[in-house]
Amino acid sequence: MSNVAPTITQVAKDEREIHQRPLDWQIINRLLRYTRPYAARRTWLLLIVVVRSLQLPALAAAIAAAIKGPIQAGNQAGVAWAVVGFLALAVSTQIVAHFRQRLALELGESVVHDLRNELFAHLQRLQMKFYVCTKLGRIISRLTSDVENVRVGVQEVMFIAMVQSGQMLMAALFMLWYDWVLFLVVLGLAPVLAGINYYFRRKLSKAHRAVQESFSRVTATLAESINGIRTTQAYGRQARNAELFRDLAEDHAGYHYEIASIHGRLLPLLDMNSHFFIAILLLLGGFRVLNPSIDASLGDLIGFFLMAGLFFSPLTMLGLLYTQALTSMAAAERVFGLLDTPPDWEDPPTAIDVPGVCGRVEFRNVSFEYLPGTQVLQNISFVAKPGQTVALVGHTGSGKTTVTNLVAKFYLPTSGVVMVDDHDLLEWKTESWQQHLGIMVQQSFLFSGTVMENIRFSRPRASDQEVHDAVEQLNCMDVFLRLPDGFQTQVGERGGNLSLGQRQLVCFARSLLTDPKVLVLDEASSSVDTLTEMHIQQALRQLLKGRTSFVVAHRLSTIREANQILVLDGGQIVERGTHTGLLAKQGAYRELYRRFLTG
Amino acid sequence: MRRLLGLVWEYRSRCLLVLVQQLLLVGIGLAILGFSGIGIDFIRFRLDPAANEPTWLFGIHPPASLSDMAILATIATAVLGLAILHAALRLWATLSASRLAQTIIVDLRVRVFEKLQWLGFSYFDRHNSSSLINRVAGDVYAVRTFVDGVMVEMIIVFLSLVIFTAYMASIHVMLTFACLATTPLLWTLAIRFSRMIRPMYLETRERMDQMVRDVVENVQGVAVVKGCAQQKSQIEKFRHSNNHVREQQHEIFWRISMFQPTMGMLTHLNRAVLLGFGGYLVARGQLPLGVGLVAFARLLQQFSEQVGQVTNIANRIQTSLAGAERVFQVLDAPVEIRSPAQSRHLNCSCGSVTFEGVSFAYNQDRPVLEGIDFSIEPGQSVSIVGPTGSGKSTLLNLIPRLYDPTGGRVLIDGTDIRELHLDELRRHVGMVFQESFLFSNTVTANIAFGNPQATGQQTFEAARLAAATPFITRLSDGFDTIIGEHGCDLSGGERQRIAIARALLMNSPILLLDDPTAAVDPETEHEILQAVDEAMRNRTTFLVTHRLSAIRRADLVLVLSDGQVAQFGPPEDLLDQDGYLRSLLSAQVEDLDGPLDEKRLAFQN
Repeated sequence: MSNVAPTITQVAKDEREIHQRPLDWQIINRLLRYTRPYAARRTWLLLIVVVRSLQLPALAAAIAAAIKGPIQAGNQAGVAWAVVGFLALAVSTQIVAHFRQRLALELGESVVHDLRNELFAHLQRLQMKFYVCTKLGRIISRLTSDVENVRVGVQEVMFIAMVQSGQMLMAALFMLWYDWVLFLVVLGLAPVLAGINYYFRRKLSKAHRAVQESFSRVTATLAESINGIRTTQAYGRQARNAELFRDLAEDHAGYHYEIASIHGRLLPLLDMNSHFFIAILLLLGGFRVLNPSIDASLGDLIGFFLMAGLFFSPLTMLGLLYTQALTSMAAAERVFGLLDTPPDWEDPPTAIDVPGVCGRVEFRNVSFEYLPGTQVLQNISFVAKPGQTVALVGHTGSGKTTVTNLVAKFYLPTSGVVMVDDHDLLEWKTESWQQHLGIMVQQSFLFSGTVMENIRFSRPRASDQEVHDAVEQLNCMDVFLRLPDGFQTQVGERGGNLSLGQRQLVCFARSLLTDPKVLVLDEASSSVDTLTEMHIQQALRQLLKGRTSFVVAHRLSTIREANQILVLDGGQIVERGTHTGLLAKQGAYRELYRRFLTG
Repeated sequence: MRRLLGLVWEYRSRCLLVLVQQLLLVGIGLAILGFSGIGIDFIRFRLDPAANEPTWLFGIHPPASLSDMAILATIATAVLGLAILHAALRLWATLSASRLAQTIIVDLRVRVFEKLQWLGFSYFDRHNSSSLINRVAGDVYAVRTFVDGVMVEMIIVFLSLVIFTAYMASIHVMLTFACLATTPLLWTLAIRFSRMIRPMYLETRERMDQMVRDVVENVQGVAVVKGCAQQKSQIEKFRHSNNHVREQQHEIFWRISMFQPTMGMLTHLNRAVLLGFGGYLVARGQLPLGVGLVAFARLLQQFSEQVGQVTNIANRIQTSLAGAERVFQVLDAPVEIRSPAQSRHLNCSCGSVTFEGVSFAYNQDRPVLEGIDFSIEPGQSVSIVGPTGSGKSTLLNLIPRLYDPTGGRVLIDGTDIRELHLDELRRHVGMVFQESFLFSNTVTANIAFGNPQATGQQTFEAARLAAATPFITRLSDGFDTIIGEHGCDLSGGERQRIAIARALLMNSPILLLDDPTAAVDPETEHEILQAVDEAMRNRTTFLVTHRLSAIRRADLVLVLSDGQVAQFGPPEDLLDQDGYLRSLLSAQVEDLDGPLDEKRLAFQN
């Protein structure tokens, strides 16, 4: 069907990101704004950069002067003085080098640090839709690799480029002073060198990108081959996969070889350039020195030779920096892209803190679509009286979870109104409403940390006693006390150290701790052992008591005990009533119920 | 260590080539330097007859008939000629070094990967998958480094240091010693620094990991964070980890910005010694300017570069030994399940399955299955039921030899499966797991995973039988949509239906379904079971399940309890007996605790 050569894995196109983009003053300006809080440091750094670009050529000039003067003249005392002068200059250069390096690193880190804080804070403002549409890996790479590339841009590209250009300029001036005719020759070589660099660097950066992409293919294939090894073996694909992997590994090696062959051409060419230069220097310089009619000295020739090195090396360096700048640019654009992602909505300025909640929830002609044109809820209306339990049932995709998401104000209805105690939810600040709400998601998500910390997550200031009270109220103190370290037990990543049932109980306690008037609950569908199931049902009964609750129900007991059952199908309420009433109806609910029992 | 040396020996001719090339490069470099020096000295000699005459190569004096410019031109040509030779050799050397490195890497990678393909399930039960991935992705580099970065490099560095020193000493012994005096200091400083800074970098990495973990949990638990309105405390927490990183970074920055300028100062010190002592010698006429002072300056620079290499090599030895150990662990692991040397072919592909006194234990002391005896006719379907941990999945795993029984034997169509070639056996058995693994690849590639030669039509047909076509055609690129971890997300039910299609396309006479609805909600379960119905037709089928309706649909029910067959027979018979199946039935129905009407509902179908 597809014409691509067979592979073990493939990556979807939208997973790829661009690596480089042209320089853009707007982005650069915006980046520079992040150095503003560190203006003093930045100013010092600029000053130091200027000093340093003078010092490096000065060192070479000092050596040249020593050779030209005392050494050639045979002045031994002069040689000693020259050494002293050279050392003094060297010490000052290294002190400046220390500050140049430290200040640049610190500035880069500060910018990165601030960017990360800003990114994270912005992430907290974004609403559910963003999180549903964005892969975790993307978000992480914004905060890690992209920000790192921005760092390199700030701390290296700008300042090193300045030092190098300054050094080049100084070296050029010195050479002009030593021997302007020879300098013209150097000037002639410079574009050749720059051209070679430019040509090969472009190829190299392309090749490096290819290596990275190919390496991520290798690791992705590896990861899946190992995670899917049971499938591979059950289907007898070992030999074929090994063969495909050999192709992949050889392909990957090919990219490395490509880089080596570019290096293999670039580096000798650079060498050749400097050797070529030596030859010219010997020939032309020799001619000029030996010709009495021209005023040129051997000392100048050596000085020239030293300076030429300082003039040529920045050419290579600047090429490298340019490539890095393009990479940083692309990274900065992605980072700013995330920072500029607007939240789905902002609370209107008139929104107030929730004064207090009775718990009456009403949907009035509510419709909702995640994407324009695909309606998930159509014209839903219902009333939940304070303290009522509403069970939402229906097929996958019928809109059950969406109803709870709208109650939680994770999304706003596309049309219609969600009312709480006769107030449109829009009148209340989102965060304030969510503080009055208890939420339990299906996966029973726990953060790494202790059981205590997890229960306290909803109200970090709650005392130990309050946590204990909440657990006591759920009748599950014994479950927590039986854990290896009681409430201080580490739950592990995503709660991995606890059983599914235990995790659910932690989430119950977490919700109970804020004593919410309204509760939203997506029941876990996976089964747990009988004892824990008993605990959960008991605890759930306690939790629901006296609270307006919306339950996406998977437990028969929950459904049967609900005050109101809403049967959803295709985004509409097709039946409503109590368990017994609906069963008698011989309608959609009865059919669902039958399937539920028989599978 | 010995095995690593063996590896070097395996690639000896290529290593030797790299070695010779590198030494030739050093030699030509020196020659270029020498000629440049001679050029300078010649100019100086002509300018100032009091200065020493240049030391001509091999004592060959240029004929007096040549003009000064002609001599200079000759020297310049020699420099150029050597430069071209140097460049060409360097290209060749770079390529052969890369070829050496890549050959080793590909060889090792494929060897480790292939080995991993054949290691038994129990190996993967014991080893963490990310550590295995690292062995193929990263550790093989470490092993390669031992060949070209440690062994070959060590010889190159050693020989070039000797050559450099000899060359310098041949010019002036005392000056050589004076200039190299700081080398040991340079050496110790570098090693000490790398020892100090390494744990600090590790610490940074740990703090970074913590910070990333904060973000990961925040995003994964976003509903909880928002639901509890804890954005502010999360921002606070992140700030804390972020600051934690910055503090550590500043510690490192401080040290780096002290160390590097200090090292730079040592290099300057060397130059100052050269300038002072060398200058003094030149001034007294005891050292030529070009071949002596200027050449020395360049040599010192190259010398210190090579010294820097020594620290790198020292660091590499550690990492490459550690990496090698991890790689060799995999290569040395015994393959527990392999095809017999003389494999037999199946008499027919009918699909009868017989267990004869089969026992199995993952650990010696805790048997999972004991004395299992039963026989299934071709085309029959069996549902396997029993409480968690009774050995249901294990029993299925024994049929395609994913594990070997510790006692007894399993026969397919009358042949002991250990006498069959593994490929033939596994082509004979299709399998669907509790949670199916799909590869990041197109829908087609995933369905055709066990039968890559399948035509598009066959793939489509399998998907249709598995009730997967409706949702596949709705995907953005239909059958060419990339799914799995690095592609479009599918629901649990959709994944299972693709897995069933994958098993169907094998067109194998035996089909194993290991509780394919374990991880999905009740509505999806219904959809999957429909596909299963289709799949069971004309095949010997084993279905692990706890669903009444599925159990009733099978020809036979095998009840496992504590690793033994508790009941075996047609479902109707077993329902009449007192036993697990009966209790399961009544439990599922009595739990309803509703009107009689409901109970009857449960039995209808």
